Amino acid sequence: MTTFDTVPPDTASHTAPVTIVDTDVHPVPASPDVLKSYAPAEWVDKIWPTGRAVTPQSYFYDTPDAYKSMSMRVDSMPPGGGFAGTDPEFAAQQLLVDAGVSIAMLEPMCDHQLPQHEHVMKSTYNDWLADVWLNQNNAHGRWRGAISVSAQTPADAAREVERWGGHPYMAEVLMTPQTRGIPFGNPHFDPLYEAAARNGFPIATHLMGQTPFELIPQYPVGNPAHWHDFFASWPLLYVSHLMSLVFDGAFDRHPDLRVVFVEGGFTWAMPTMSRMDRIWEQRKADLPHVRRRPSEYVREHVRFTTQPLEEVEVGTYLEYLDMMDMGDNIMFSTDYPHWSYDSPAWAINRFPSDQRERIMKGNATELYGLPDVVGALPGERPSGGPDTA
Amino acid sequence: MRRRRVCGVDELPPGAMKLVAAGKFGVGVYNVGGQLYAIANYCAHEGAPLCTGYVGGTNVHNPDRPGRLEFVRDGQIVRCPWHQWEFDVTNGRTLADSSRKIRTYRVDVTDGEVFVTA
Amino acid sequence: MKSPVIDTNVQPHFRYNAEIRKFIDPAYKTRAIPDVEQQWYQAPGGDYRADLYDGKYPGSIPETVARHLFSDGGVDYAILNPSTRGNVADYLLNSRICAAVNDWLVQRWLDADVTGRFLGTIRVNPEDPRGAVAEIERLAGHPKMVQVGVPMQSREPYGKPMFEPIWEAAAAFGLPVAVHVNGGNGVDHAPTFAGHAHTYPGYAAFMPLNYFVHLATLIVEGVFGRHPAARFVFADGGYDILTPLMWRLDTFWLSMRDQTPWVDRYPSEYLADHVRFCSSAFDGPTDPADARRWMDFTGKSDLVMYGSGYPHWSTTSPTDAVDGLDSEQREKLLWRNAAGLYSLTRLMEGSDA
Repeated sequence: MTTFDTVPPDTASHTAPVTIVDTDVHPVPASPDVLKSYAPAEWVDKIWPTGRAVTPQSYFYDTPDAYKSMSMRVDSMPPGGGFAGTDPEFAAQQLLVDAGVSIAMLEPMCDHQLPQHEHVMKSTYNDWLADVWLNQNNAHGRWRGAISVSAQTPADAAREVERWGGHPYMAEVLMTPQTRGIPFGNPHFDPLYEAAARNGFPIATHLMGQTPFELIPQYPVGNPAHWHDFFASWPLLYVSHLMSLVFDGAFDRHPDLRVVFVEGGFTWAMPTMSRMDRIWEQRKADLPHVRRRPSEYVREHVRFTTQPLEEVEVGTYLEYLDMMDMGDNIMFSTDYPHWSYDSPAWAINRFPSDQRERIMKGNATELYGLPDVVGALPGERPSGGPDTA
Repeated sequence: MRRRRVCGVDELPPGAMKLVAAGKFGVGVYNVGGQLYAIANYCAHEGAPLCTGYVGGTNVHNPDRPGRLEFVRDGQIVRCPWHQWEFDVTNGRTLADSSRKIRTYRVDVTDGEVFVTA
Repeated sequence: MKSPVIDTNVQPHFRYNAEIRKFIDPAYKTRAIPDVEQQWYQAPGGDYRADLYDGKYPGSIPETVARHLFSDGGVDYAILNPSTRGNVADYLLNSRICAAVNDWLVQRWLDADVTGRFLGTIRVNPEDPRGAVAEIERLAGHPKMVQVGVPMQSREPYGKPMFEPIWEAAAAFGLPVAVHVNGGNGVDHAPTFAGHAHTYPGYAAFMPLNYFVHLATLIVEGVFGRHPAARFVFADGGYDILTPLMWRLDTFWLSMRDQTPWVDRYPSEYLADHVRFCSSAFDGPTDPADARRWMDFTGKSDLVMYGSGYPHWSTTSPTDAVDGLDSEQREKLLWRNAAGLYSLTRLMEGSDA
């Protein structure tokens, strides 16, 4: 069994109850050199550009004002310099103290076109994350990490999952949904799902909007020209994967598998479940390997993070969520420090009161095995939340 | 609400903004082409610190131009630092949906001093 | 008193695949044409209702279809929307296939109709915009043609500029455009966002949802804004995904307005004037107790029109389509929304309403 370098959290001096778990936060290496220092020497020049070549900005679609904001919250650039999300202390100040988040799931974003390169790159990110965020800057014990793996190399991905099994702060596996035409229910992913389930790690998936064209899924009726309609349609990628997971029998093959759909919202889950149920009722003979009602699989095996919450009249929204009755399946997220960040103080009132506690912390705590109490940070009230009004 | 001194008028040239610790979230005082305006530092959407956002212009539809867009109103529009909603600094209204607005405050210049009532 | 019923989605078929050759332009008569059955994704056990395989191609005999819909089913009007043969590579051949289907529809189903209850669709090929406009102009004057029909399958979403002359022509003649999953075999992308579905249910449940990309682009590219009379019908349903995705389209508009300022209102405000759906067997909550309240979201009560899908295996009856709805929602779904869209109100008021 691997041993890991971590400092046990300091909860002795000042504690706070866990009230908000943030299931989607994006840390970034302070510089390419920092990241490269964790890569195997023989791979450094293969993965990252050398000489005068640069990693190009890949804005196939651009978010609002992206040229200046770089798709980040304008106010999230660390005062000491560096890009948004590179400074663990500033992130702790803005997210844990100011916004009142108790525990946050860190999900680095990276990809590479070539399978082995992608596998090595993601393993490098895992080593960097474990060291900088989960070890050196985790005295408060409030960061959790995702084990990034390549969808292109499921067997290597399974080995990577094993490498991190038992780590006190790694809490999930992270894989792209942009899988070049292989849906999630395909047996291609079985080695990875088997390893993840055995190690108690949910498989989280997170879409990347700022991505080169080759990684943007080919929309069946063609791709829109603007980020606006492109991103409004984006959950249909998750719908496609979710239908595959159910109809292709992945949950039957992997009874302990849990899947988290991150940053796709969740209100589309209700119609997806009812569509699957309706067609399953009418076409059971086509699906002999699907032993249960599709919506039951979703309720048991799948979770959705909340961000980006839709801007809808709140009474209408609450009624829809009440009708959905998915209070056990939704987990709050901010997407800090990205531009489409959702504030916890604003978001909490968007959920029906009888679902709030589960959405803001209960479901994530149960899924990831999180504690109920964490170390408080300077400037935090004992009950959690910032000291200043 | 009280009338507060912001700064000397020459400390707030066109294009500049001063953040005043008034109210719960602060008030941003802007000089837009020589005219002074004040808006709440609190976005109507999720409460972002609006006055940390970029100030610029906006686009209108002009089908006769090659890109079909025309850039207008430079310096009058502040974009929320989070979701980039466009706010008209002169009246606090969102450009997309004018019914979404933030609070505005009275600004006056007396004896070379800028005052905001907030 | 029996409620009036307009069935907005009936798919007639040739008696056999090669019959289309009787109607093809002589210059294209020697061309090979795909069969109407889909290469992939046919339903195991047959695409059509089991009781209709009586030696004839399902939906191919007007008298039989009329008996099923009008005499037995109590339907007042049925809108026929035939399939073509897919987005074949030769777009001119594709347009000749559309013309052949249209000529057959007129001859076999509309002009020969003794019931007076069949209405028709002018099928056109969006990959040949000039040819599509010409075909609309050729047949728009036929009194029983009530809409234009295009496939769901496309290499580009329908809001893109190359298609606009087609929508403009349809709108000029007061004809809605029906978008419908087409048969045959064409140069198409995989049907889901994650690639091909590996089961028939995986295909059938997802495919109709692709309408949303057509819809989103029609709004964001400004087609609805430039053409107040343009109306689209999404004939495969998928409206249960409408609320969550329109909410997103509305939400991001507030951030993205300056990239496309010709969109001068919340995207959802375009729906009432520009968008309708045919009902489907796959849409809606599984518990009828939720149906009424669910139908109110995003104003769907005013957008959904009864469409049986006859002779598909998933054909739904009017009774099933309105299960759980209140009386006003029922009336709108069974006939009022369709009567308004297709200007049939005068005709309906003359019937047993």
